[in-house]
Amino acid sequence: MAFNLLENTSMAVKTLGANKLRSGLTMLGIIIGNASVIAMVAAGQAAQSYVTRQFESLGTNVLFVTPGDAQRGPTAGVSRADTLTLADAEAIAAEVLAVGAVSPEKNQRLRVTRGAAETQANVIGTTPEYVPVRQIDLAQGRFLNPVDAQSDLRMAVLGSEVAQTLFGAQDPINQGVRIDNIRFTVVGVVTPRGSSFGQNQDEAVYIPIQVMVDQITGQEVGKTSPSVQTIAVSASDATSASAAQYQITNLLRLRHGLLNREDDFTVQSQQDLLDTAASITDILVLVLAFTAGISLLVGGIGIMNIMLVSVTERTREIGLRKAIGARGSDISAQFTIEAIILAVIGGAIGTGLGIGSILVLTLATPLSAGISLSAIAISFTVSGSTGLIFGLLPARRAAQLDPIVALRS
Amino acid sequence: MALIHLQQINKVYGVGDLEVHALRDVNLSINPGEYCAIVGASGSGKSTAMNLIGCLDRPTRGSYRLDGVPVNTLEADALADIRNRKIGFVFQQFHLLPQLTAVENVMLPMVYANVPKPQRRSRATKALQKVGLGNRLHNRPNQLSGGQQQRVAIARAIVNRPKLLLADEPTGALDSQTSQSIMDIFASLNRDGMTLVMVTHDEVVARQCDRVITFRDGQVLSDTPAILLQVQDHHVPQRPT
Repeated sequence: MAFNLLENTSMAVKTLGANKLRSGLTMLGIIIGNASVIAMVAAGQAAQSYVTRQFESLGTNVLFVTPGDAQRGPTAGVSRADTLTLADAEAIAAEVLAVGAVSPEKNQRLRVTRGAAETQANVIGTTPEYVPVRQIDLAQGRFLNPVDAQSDLRMAVLGSEVAQTLFGAQDPINQGVRIDNIRFTVVGVVTPRGSSFGQNQDEAVYIPIQVMVDQITGQEVGKTSPSVQTIAVSASDATSASAAQYQITNLLRLRHGLLNREDDFTVQSQQDLLDTAASITDILVLVLAFTAGISLLVGGIGIMNIMLVSVTERTREIGLRKAIGARGSDISAQFTIEAIILAVIGGAIGTGLGIGSILVLTLATPLSAGISLSAIAISFTVSGSTGLIFGLLPARRAAQLDPIVALRS
Repeated sequence: MALIHLQQINKVYGVGDLEVHALRDVNLSINPGEYCAIVGASGSGKSTAMNLIGCLDRPTRGSYRLDGVPVNTLEADALADIRNRKIGFVFQQFHLLPQLTAVENVMLPMVYANVPKPQRRSRATKALQKVGLGNRLHNRPNQLSGGQQQRVAIARAIVNRPKLLLADEPTGALDSQTSQSIMDIFASLNRDGMTLVMVTHDEVVARQCDRVITFRDGQVLSDTPAILLQVQDHHVPQRPT
């Protein structure tokens, strides 16, 4: 080729620089496209890692036993919502070998007051086992102990926000609060835990499950043992989670007399939940990337559009260049390189904007987005090749211009 | 040997009923060092002949040898190289690139000729000095008058040291005084041995050439030394200068 790359590049820069407004507008599509690819992929990955962390915050090796059949949708779960009882939890603790700790949980949203101060809290009736299973830490005082659990003493442990709302800077330990207008004594405050699946865990109040049953929810008609919403179980070690899952299923089927019927409960391991969430977030990332890809495509078409206009506008220049000895390949190289330069500069600016929006995302939301080098590499490659592909048609058109016609235009 | 040798050249545009014979059996030879004008009414075929001579177009039939090379058989890329090395073009509308300075415009043909970069600027500067624009090297076209722009275009046309300079109505966009300064440059280039062929409407311009070739209806009507033309056409009033 008579015309070398460096020559062409400096020529293209000069030409693009001579028409800054148009060059800028041409790049806009690619800028937006690139920024959105990077930002969207980062947002998707942030959502993914957020969800993963949420599950991991549930505690490792934890199994969740819930009433109803999760596989058959929410209505199936609701209609059998009382199939799981406190006695089931006690049986799991006593009979399943692969199990470490068992934490039955019976919760209800209730009004919690102290004098004039009041708040709505998720009041969880549970046992001391809640601490090892759910892996919580105490900021002050203690959690419920076995004595509280056995006796009918009205002791309460507050979530950090509840404590803040009702007590402010005061020490809440040994102070009284009213839950559903019943007086409880505060024995501890849990460290802030953030929210999990939209549930603010710091708006929780923990009380002994027996107190919950006896004094708040009351005995259920026709039940020998009170129903619970969740039994959280920790496996004895990392390798025994699936064994525990199997043994719990067998035990509960026996206890519920389900010989020829389907399970009226669900045992899910943290891994099950993670897998489900991962399959959803994978699709989320894909959809986001696809959407962003479309804007990149639109950006490419924008480049093609303007380059075609530019070929028409510069017909005389093309004719002149051909008359003084430019080959068709020189002309097409010139226009292709202009398109690639636009795309790459646009890509760089877009990448900058994308990274900027990631920083904003990290500051403004609980998602902590990482700047993915692969996303940057991909969007650079894509924008470069977008310039190349969408620059080809205009370049071809320019190369095929008849110099005589071009000079007379 | 003739520099330009056209033999039985035909150029036909369109097909079937729409066929237009722009050139019919044209034979023409121009020797090195000649200074020719091609004249004729519009539609006479003079522009088509100019395009063929300039290797911007190919004949439908006939053979064309430029400097001994049978250019009617060459491919587009080879023709581009011929235009680059053997021919310099000057146009009525100058056709300078507005984003480049005078010296950069003049450097352009050397870019396509692969002249090493350091040589380009010095050669372009010399060419501009030759046309009297040594003090306007870094002006852009819009900072130059029409005559100055045409002089930049001439510098660009001669910078690759072509054998042939083709000018298409080079004075058509200029006033008569400026036209004369351009013609003076052409005359001086011709004295240095450059072969010049120009298409023109302007009688005054044509008379300054050594040879006037008149086209009509796609054929050469007359081919006369300019000195004879003046005697024949004494009734044509001289343009005031």
